[in-house]
Amino acid sequence: MNTALELKGVVKTYGSRRALDGLDLAVSRGSIFGLVGSNGAGKTTALAVTVGLLRRDAGSVSLFGEGSFDPLRHAGRVTLLPQDSRLPLHARVEDLLWFYGRLQGLGEAALRESIDEVLEWVHLNDRRRSPVRTLSHGMMRRLTIAQAFLGRPELVLLDEPMSGLDPREAARIRAILKRHHDAQTVVISSHNLHELETLCDAAAFIEAGKLVRQDNMDALTRRSRRVTFYMDPASQPLPMEELKKALPEATWDQTLGGAELTVKFFDETARAAEVNARVLEVLLRHGVGVLEIRRGSALESEYFSATDSHASSVTPLPPSGSATP
Amino acid sequence: MNTTLRNTWTVTLHELTDSIRSRRAIVLLILYALNAVVATLIFVKVLHEMENQFEKAVGVAQAEKAGGTTTAMWKNRHFRELISHLVGNKETAEKLLETPPLALFFGWLSFFYTPLLVMLMSASRISEEIWSGSVRFMMFRTSRLSWCVGKYAGQALQLLVALLLSGLAAWITGWCRMAFFDPGANAAAIALFSLKAWVYGIAFLGLAMGVSQTIASPNVATAVGFVVMILFSVVSMLAEWVSRQPWQEILNALDLLVPGGHKMDLWLPDAMHAGTATVFLMALGAGYMLAGYARFSRRNL
Repeated sequence: MNTALELKGVVKTYGSRRALDGLDLAVSRGSIFGLVGSNGAGKTTALAVTVGLLRRDAGSVSLFGEGSFDPLRHAGRVTLLPQDSRLPLHARVEDLLWFYGRLQGLGEAALRESIDEVLEWVHLNDRRRSPVRTLSHGMMRRLTIAQAFLGRPELVLLDEPMSGLDPREAARIRAILKRHHDAQTVVISSHNLHELETLCDAAAFIEAGKLVRQDNMDALTRRSRRVTFYMDPASQPLPMEELKKALPEATWDQTLGGAELTVKFFDETARAAEVNARVLEVLLRHGVGVLEIRRGSALESEYFSATDSHASSVTPLPPSGSATP
Repeated sequence: MNTTLRNTWTVTLHELTDSIRSRRAIVLLILYALNAVVATLIFVKVLHEMENQFEKAVGVAQAEKAGGTTTAMWKNRHFRELISHLVGNKETAEKLLETPPLALFFGWLSFFYTPLLVMLMSASRISEEIWSGSVRFMMFRTSRLSWCVGKYAGQALQLLVALLLSGLAAWITGWCRMAFFDPGANAAAIALFSLKAWVYGIAFLGLAMGVSQTIASPNVATAVGFVVMILFSVVSMLAEWVSRQPWQEILNALDLLVPGGHKMDLWLPDAMHAGTATVFLMALGAGYMLAGYARFSRRNL
């Protein structure tokens, strides 16, 4: 079975409010998967339902194709970084991880090794004998990340993992996630779409407890089908006739008075590098000042356009094309 | 070892170490020991006053320390016959009179304060973890039942240590302040009463942990625990006082479901009564705890 996590038609209600309204989700094994959605969209609820912290009202959850979460079967294989949950304050960092690891069924040697590893990852080795209550907010957050990776679980669910981390630590954790997740499947719920874009292989947009769109990151951001050039506004007009001759199979989209030029290509054989080379050659030959080139579109703008109907009644969206690269 | 048992034991050990680190266990031990010392001092003083008045009335020299006259009276044949008559059972009375007065006092005292302290210290143990969300870090690592039973066992072990320590405190106080103090007999009797008070406390501990699983607010859980405990006491009192049928039968049946209904059997020195009461009280503790678990096992965390 190649699916680490599958949710089908999951419904969760709080009183009369439906937090999850028939949510479907499929996360491939070994991927880093992003969950994107507005506040109250159901991301946290979906993660909590997955590990049985919340009871679902309908639908099914399947982990590794083995059915819904069972602490005896899945302990140590699935972990969660819950949002807004406080660690026990009196325990020492190392003792707390030891306790969690023992509950996961880790043996002494493996657990000792794993504690050393995760504390090294989150830069807390020098605080291993400190009581949790003496840690700063950011350090506690790092400890919650450490506990989620204890014992190298197969599926790690992270709910807003970077919130409260300083930029350096957040970048470090991102790098670690990218480098060390190995065969692990990591699901990250976050509002930081740039972070998800750089980190994830795939993502799902959730709104009002429903799946709006799910795909791999290349498809979501159209990385393999779109290149945008940002140019000096003084370099106008653009040599459009020559560009169209250079890439006859592409379609062209000019915005911001021509300062932003998007090339959309649908030919499966087309490569972004080849498109860049052909377009740049023409632009540079005509003395156009190219400031920046971007492959695909931002996950943020794709999320906005995909969820426009859900969110527009609540939050006014920025006008199309106004985002600066 | 089976995974469930192993995890239960892991939680039990963590509960003990966490209580020590949080100084909760220290507070608990100090409360129990202080209680025993202060109450024993008061008991010795009152006993001394009574003995002095008695000695004055019969015209003998007043003793400097408490306990001499009582010990002499305890051995007096007429006094023993009087007690046998009052108890209504010669064998039971004889066995009670074999118990040193200080140990009897400690028994009464520990049966009185154990339920109160259990409710004060334990009714918030699970609810505070629900409240803070720290329970969420554990519920994907072990079963809810293992966790709850582990917490219960950890609290039970703490209670046992606290009661034995308070017994030791009472014994030391008695040894220092009483004349004719038999260290061996007092130690044995006080240890036995500590164990009996522990069995009695286990039932209340089950109640405290049961309440704690159903209510997320630690303060509300403690308050509700006390209210339920008072209601249980009312049931026991009514079962003793009401003689009108069918209320008497109903109250007697209800009394079997509360710890107070088994208290006197636990006090009795014979193994049959004490054993039956022990089984009942242990079962009641487990029952209250599992009644709370029925809610906890299904609740959103």
